[in-house]
Amino acid sequence: MPSWQDFEPFIVSGLALGGVYALSGVGMVVLYQATGVVYLAFGAVGAMGALIAWSLINAGAPGWVGWLVCVAFGALLTLGYGMVFGPLLAKRDPLVKAVATLGLTLVLFGLMDLLWTTSGGQSRAITLPTDNGGFMISQIQVDWTQVISLVLGIAITVVTGVFLHYTKLGAAMRAMANDREITATLGVPVRRVEAAAWLGCGVLAGVAGILLADLVALDATTLTFLVISSLAAALIARLRSITITFLAAILIGLVHDLLTPIPSLTNYRDATPFVLAAIALLVLSRGGGRVLVRSREEA
Amino acid sequence: MSMREHIWSARAVVGLVAVIGMLAAAGCSSSSSTSSTPKSTSSGTPSTSAVSTSQCGTKPGVAATGTPIPLGAIATNQPGTSFTDIPNMAAAYFACVNANGGINGHPIKLYIETEQTNPAQIAADAKQLVQTDHVVGIVGNTSIIECSVDSSYWQKLGYYIIDSGIAPECYSTSNSAAVNMGPRYSSDGAVQYALAQHASKIVFDQSNVPGTGYIAAGPSALAANAHVPIVQLTENVPITDADSVAIKEVDDAGPNGAVVLNFTPPEALVILQAAQKLGLEDKVKLWGCSTPCNTDFLATSLGPKWNSKLFVNAELTPPDVTNTTTMKLYEAILKQYGSAVSGGIGSFSQMGFTEAEIMVHALESVTGAYTVASVNAAVKAVKDFNTGMLCQAWTYGSYPMHIPNNMDYTVTPDNGKMVTAQGCTLISAVDPQIKAYRDVAGTAAMAP
Repeated sequence: MPSWQDFEPFIVSGLALGGVYALSGVGMVVLYQATGVVYLAFGAVGAMGALIAWSLINAGAPGWVGWLVCVAFGALLTLGYGMVFGPLLAKRDPLVKAVATLGLTLVLFGLMDLLWTTSGGQSRAITLPTDNGGFMISQIQVDWTQVISLVLGIAITVVTGVFLHYTKLGAAMRAMANDREITATLGVPVRRVEAAAWLGCGVLAGVAGILLADLVALDATTLTFLVISSLAAALIARLRSITITFLAAILIGLVHDLLTPIPSLTNYRDATPFVLAAIALLVLSRGGGRVLVRSREEA
Repeated sequence: MSMREHIWSARAVVGLVAVIGMLAAAGCSSSSSTSSTPKSTSSGTPSTSAVSTSQCGTKPGVAATGTPIPLGAIATNQPGTSFTDIPNMAAAYFACVNANGGINGHPIKLYIETEQTNPAQIAADAKQLVQTDHVVGIVGNTSIIECSVDSSYWQKLGYYIIDSGIAPECYSTSNSAAVNMGPRYSSDGAVQYALAQHASKIVFDQSNVPGTGYIAAGPSALAANAHVPIVQLTENVPITDADSVAIKEVDDAGPNGAVVLNFTPPEALVILQAAQKLGLEDKVKLWGCSTPCNTDFLATSLGPKWNSKLFVNAELTPPDVTNTTTMKLYEAILKQYGSAVSGGIGSFSQMGFTEAEIMVHALESVTGAYTVASVNAAVKAVKDFNTGMLCQAWTYGSYPMHIPNNMDYTVTPDNGKMVTAQGCTLISAVDPQIKAYRDVAGTAAMAP
């Protein structure tokens, strides 16, 4: 078993990764709350935005232009998808809604494979200026991108929490999560609220795309399927609580990275999101079962 | 939305995660077939490249109009892994030959099949080439598992394959000869360089895919012979936690050790960039990498911090610093006929060029009809051929195994380009497979 000192560097990388997973997870939960859609294209949208940013930067555009375009691409594509398909999907089964976003994922994935081919051994990268600065905690180098990732994860969680609880639009989103039809009959502009949720989720997809392209890799496959870690965090929170989503995302990032120095477990660390989500769902469903039984008995 | 729906949705999403994987795989499972006769991309105006490409045939400017000589190739083409640049470059070379006299007036037609690492599909591809396209030779194969799947089929039919090898069978069978070293011998070269620089420990890290044990055996033998400890690591790909991987490698290697990577360029890049961000590039004596890292894409993405810090095994002559006739011809053909070669100048297109060169050399020696028997006899008879792209002369021969390229360069990044750090050096016969090959085939002479 490695010593505590061996684990220390992995805490920093785990927290940074967990921060971005949290950012993505929160975006997915908010969208789900408002529209009932599990947005499986979150990773692919961010990946394509990051690849567009890379192309712009490579063509000589300033870095900030690339990052803004990435976020704008995520926002506009997601908003466009929501506006076109949202109303059509509104009354459909949740599974149909999720599969529809899977369709978008596959379309984007195919496009990326076509436009940013890797057949000639191409390797691409996005580096942020924050990669070069940082500080040391004991013997561990921490760069500003890692700090930003964690802080952004916390900030998005807090701001979203405040937004949902203390603003009219947030209250409307929460109301829609309970019952879309009743909310509509109360005069809430359902389409506008949904549009805001799609837009917010798209912005987060773009931000996560840039951060993950820097922290993990600028690769279509990697970024597209990284959504699974965020999805696991959202599932642990049963697609309801953004606080639990945040905590679960941090836990996934930490456990994943802390398994790295353990030789017997290191090759299984990629299963962390699945294992934690499966455990959480099993425990939660048992708990949920008990609650139901109790309520029946009380009735 | 009710509580029950919420719970149901959460469960449904677990299923969806699995569906994502299945659909992604399904999306990859189609096979495509292209008959390649690339069109010239140049204008009619004579240019330096247009003049140069006329050297690829025996009758400059005279298009071949005879009966085509059908050849075949199978290459992996799936998201994240595509080797189609290799047969596409071979096709570009053949297009050049066809435009300049062909083979005794016969144009070459290369049928390219692509596959997605599906054994049944690969076996079907081979049958299609033989039974439908009636190919008389196989050149340009580059696939993760094709050698393992089709080796006995080709052997039964009498085909002698010229390929770029990956699987062990590409090197250990009587009817496959590669122009490249493949992952094992290329890793040998990278580890050998690190040992020559007196690294006190080797950390050898590679993708966690089938065949890692076979690849790791070479570096292990070299390190053991030098009495240097070696740590073998494997990583699941795509790598999603490069920071952790880089930290682990550096921790294991120590300040006088070397980290040697055997990954595709994108995976190697994320590890090296993570190391750079964490300030780890100087925490070990040196970093090494097998051939896939030998690309300007990687050198450009890494930047000057890695100049003379990362040392990459190069199986083929570095194009950036070579000014020979062959290299000029390669660049000219790529420019004029290589519109389908997406990676441009680099190891993959060099391999395709070299394989096509060897095949043309073999075809030119055929007298009479171009049949499976005559063409493959000619391929097998290729001996001491100077490709201009390899350190050594290339020989096929009647050997039970083939590792005709077993002498390498070492290159290092230099402000966005790869430059030579060490000239042609024989891969050590401490690797038992290299020894076995040299025992039967001898050590080929250095190319002039």
